Amino acid sequence: MFKNYFKIAWRNLWKNKLFSSINIISLAIGFSASFVIGLMVYYDLTFDKFHPDSELIYRVTSKFITNDSEGRNSGIPMPYIVEARENFNGLEYASGIHVANILKVEENSSKKVFKNPEYVVFTNPEYFKIFKYNWLAGSPDMALNSPNELVLTKNRAKKYFPELSPNEVIGKTLVYNDSIQTIVKGVVANFEERTDLIFEEFLSVETSKKTSNGSYILDPQWDNTNSGSQLFVKTSGPLAIASITEQLNALEVEHRSDWEKKYNFSKTFYLQPLSNLHFNTDLGIFDFSDRPADKAVMRGLGLIALFLLLLGVINFINLNTAQANQRAKEIGIRKTLGSSKKQLVFQFMGETLLLTIAAALISVVLAYWLLQVFSDFTPSGLSFSLFKNPLIISFAIILVVLVTFLSGIYPALVLTKYKPISVLKNQVVSKTGKPALRRFLTVFQFSIAQVFIISTILVARQINFMMNKDMGFKTEAIANVRTPWNYIAQEKQIRFEQELKKHPEISKLARGGATPASRSTSTTVVTYINGDGNEIQTPLQLLRGAKDYIEIYNIELLAGRHILNDTIKEYVINETYLNILGFKDPKDAIGIQIKRSDELYPIVGVVKDFNQRSLKDPINPLAIVGNWGGTSFRAVHFTLANNEQVSMSNTISKIETAYKSIYPDADFQVNFIDETVERFYNQEKSLSKLLSWSMGLSLLISCLGLLGLVIYTTERRTKEIGVRKVLGATIAQLNVLLCKEFLVLVGIAFVIATPLAYWGMNTWLKDFAFKTNISWWIFALSGLGMVLIAIIIMSARTVSTAMKNPVNSLRNE
Amino acid sequence: MMLLELEGIFKWVKTGGRRVFLLKDIDLKVEEGEFISLMGPSGSGKSTLLNVIGMLDQFNEGHYRFLSESVHKLKERQRANLYKEYIGFVFQAYHLIDDLTVYENIETPLLYKKMKSSERKALVADMLDRFNIVGKKDLFPAQLSGGQQQLVGIARALVTKPKLILADEPTGNLNSKQSTEIMKLFKQLNEEGVTIIQATHSEMNASYGKRIIQLLDGGRQDL
Repeated sequence: MFKNYFKIAWRNLWKNKLFSSINIISLAIGFSASFVIGLMVYYDLTFDKFHPDSELIYRVTSKFITNDSEGRNSGIPMPYIVEARENFNGLEYASGIHVANILKVEENSSKKVFKNPEYVVFTNPEYFKIFKYNWLAGSPDMALNSPNELVLTKNRAKKYFPELSPNEVIGKTLVYNDSIQTIVKGVVANFEERTDLIFEEFLSVETSKKTSNGSYILDPQWDNTNSGSQLFVKTSGPLAIASITEQLNALEVEHRSDWEKKYNFSKTFYLQPLSNLHFNTDLGIFDFSDRPADKAVMRGLGLIALFLLLLGVINFINLNTAQANQRAKEIGIRKTLGSSKKQLVFQFMGETLLLTIAAALISVVLAYWLLQVFSDFTPSGLSFSLFKNPLIISFAIILVVLVTFLSGIYPALVLTKYKPISVLKNQVVSKTGKPALRRFLTVFQFSIAQVFIISTILVARQINFMMNKDMGFKTEAIANVRTPWNYIAQEKQIRFEQELKKHPEISKLARGGATPASRSTSTTVVTYINGDGNEIQTPLQLLRGAKDYIEIYNIELLAGRHILNDTIKEYVINETYLNILGFKDPKDAIGIQIKRSDELYPIVGVVKDFNQRSLKDPINPLAIVGNWGGTSFRAVHFTLANNEQVSMSNTISKIETAYKSIYPDADFQVNFIDETVERFYNQEKSLSKLLSWSMGLSLLISCLGLLGLVIYTTERRTKEIGVRKVLGATIAQLNVLLCKEFLVLVGIAFVIATPLAYWGMNTWLKDFAFKTNISWWIFALSGLGMVLIAIIIMSARTVSTAMKNPVNSLRNE
Repeated sequence: MMLLELEGIFKWVKTGGRRVFLLKDIDLKVEEGEFISLMGPSGSGKSTLLNVIGMLDQFNEGHYRFLSESVHKLKERQRANLYKEYIGFVFQAYHLIDDLTVYENIETPLLYKKMKSSERKALVADMLDRFNIVGKKDLFPAQLSGGQQQLVGIARALVTKPKLILADEPTGNLNSKQSTEIMKLFKQLNEEGVTIIQATHSEMNASYGKRIIQLLDGGRQDL
């Protein structure tokens, strides 16, 4: 029986090659998208699931509350960590984890030096009670109890001591930052399953005293929060959270500092479950190179996969019901031979299954390729080999069965409803399912495609707008080089500047902090008391730049002058701050004093507004200031004299030579401002890429379906076309006649899609402070484009049908 | 033994509010082992009557008992079971399944009887042998002549060993030589005990039957 069904199914698929390939391709696209998304969801959902009692483990995070804003931070001040470890109820263990910035590690016996080791943390012994590691040497009870003790992972131990076994590594000495002698107390195996706890070296917290991190890690202040200093706890039971939060909040109230009271600042604490760690984009994880998974992005991707799959299913339903009468005869005969309806339904479902499996097999190849294309979306650890996972395989099987059912059941019911008598009487079977349903499904397909088209155009337009908008400062032929942050003293930087000045390729130079627009911003709170005695308190962003900074960036000075030298305490403010202060004329602001931490400094200049972040953010009050603390100038900015490609690499190598002569062991990198600006919009660019693909694929599936339907209708109407042609209809008239039915559907789809796309794009654009307008012509254009594509697809078939000699089609009867 | 019994069967369609009768007050009793020819001009109701007997078509009034069971009370599923067990159809247009080979066409009714593979093989082989089409078993219907196709059609109808064969103009598309062969075959089958009801235009073909029933405008003329 099955063999017979299989044979019939195979011959049918083979006979209708075009329709089968339309069905298979459409379904395969949907499948591959689903597989890729499924893989991503699986990957992200399986982080840190393997720890014993993982549901009892939490990260304690802070939330700052001021009068008008709230902010979240993954860190917590040191005294809370101490309290939690010593005095809290409801906790089994508590441990601080402090990210360490280590410049270099020296292996004591071989004198081998390793620069900038990654994933080094300072932590308490309790860390190893909360997270169970497999100890290859040493024991959790003996490690990290006193200063200058160290635990290595197996991988790191292999790197530092390639010759030694874990047991031999115990007792060896590593020297951190030239001066901190530490002794290896244990070697643990790296976690084999997916985890966000990617640490490789664990130093006891007290060891941090002698490093640059020590000042804040061991800071006894109750109001100093650093995102790199975190508190992990294991509660004694699921109900303990409330009590722990209460204890934390009680401490906060007790230890609120004077300035917090004065400015009405407060903190609350939130226990973040370990399972939430991987999904929290606000708070972040430890590995800065990999961003945490964004549930919103995953939902969006899931929706796209669902749509693509639905489009494929729709093609299947449409083509199979439209073609039903081709198989009516077979069904009629089978019924007279004693087949029950159920058996026939099974036969057709079997055929659908065969086709779906073919699509699924093809989609595995497609999925491999899609994973390459969308590597910016997928986490770096995600690889194709995950496909071998039994859970993923069962997901794929379930999906195949589900899709088979969705696409097969309706056509199967339509097909098996035929009465054998009508077939055997040689009557033309007119009932081929409900054409209304097919129309509805086609409209649905094209609505989705249309939404994708409009969104793709609008997103591309917004990106284009942002890339080309004048940000208010020079972005062409200007670059900077960061100087190593560990050489805080300015002498070397000044020498580097002098060195660069010798090269004619570099026209102007200025030392300073960040570029005018950057991601990193430092903001302070300043107060101005105006003529009426009112206090105007504002957060003010500080941009550090030496004497020539505004000149090389072409920032326009509206009044006054730039600061006189690097260290003088003067403000050059932007227009936005000028307006907040209540001045109309920039000249009026010159000379007034503003207060920062009880000290008054004058405003000496006013510059025109420029964008100090990406165009997603509004322009905020800002002041350009000098190198007040002596540590703020971290880069040398310079303009290039000529912009010819030929000399560019030459120029860069000259700069590098100068750099290396002054900072021999630092890494050299030139940052071009236009590239920096471009990087602001990486997220938008990958969205744009995703949308383009979704658009292309949804359009492809919908058009394939349309082509199938047109082929079917024109075949059915061959005789009518012949008669009309004999009566004198032109090819153009026939073409209109054949396309009209479908163009109406495309038109309805446009009407449905427009408000949806408008709403969606409006929501998306809300995140941008500077945006393009959603003009009507974008909709009109994409609607027209779609109609045009539909016409081209349909004409490919209808014209050839219309051109057939009517004698042939009429003779058939 | 009584095979089937029709009593006062009426069938009509409504055209413009008026009833047009396709079958008018048909009474018919068929014993096992009979060979009946339904005769009459085009539109006299031969095919309709055959379809009603074959339960492919509904009737509007009257009683129909097949092996003492009331047919109008049967569900589709039970009807399918009757086809499987007792009835074989032979059509004017052969109605073979185009995508199946000769062998597979003959095998299909056995599949629906859920017969074992070895039994199926034996039965199909018997049929192929009997009708001398062993050499054609792997061909598709389109590769055969009309007469050969009808042979396959009859083989397929016979493979389940039905009690009753319903043949609607079985030779309508064949030449006279092929016709004679088919009719001889029917006669032989009838002698072996199979009940046959055929609808036909041809006096010659009708003469192979043991009983002739004349139809005109949906009613019996031979009474």
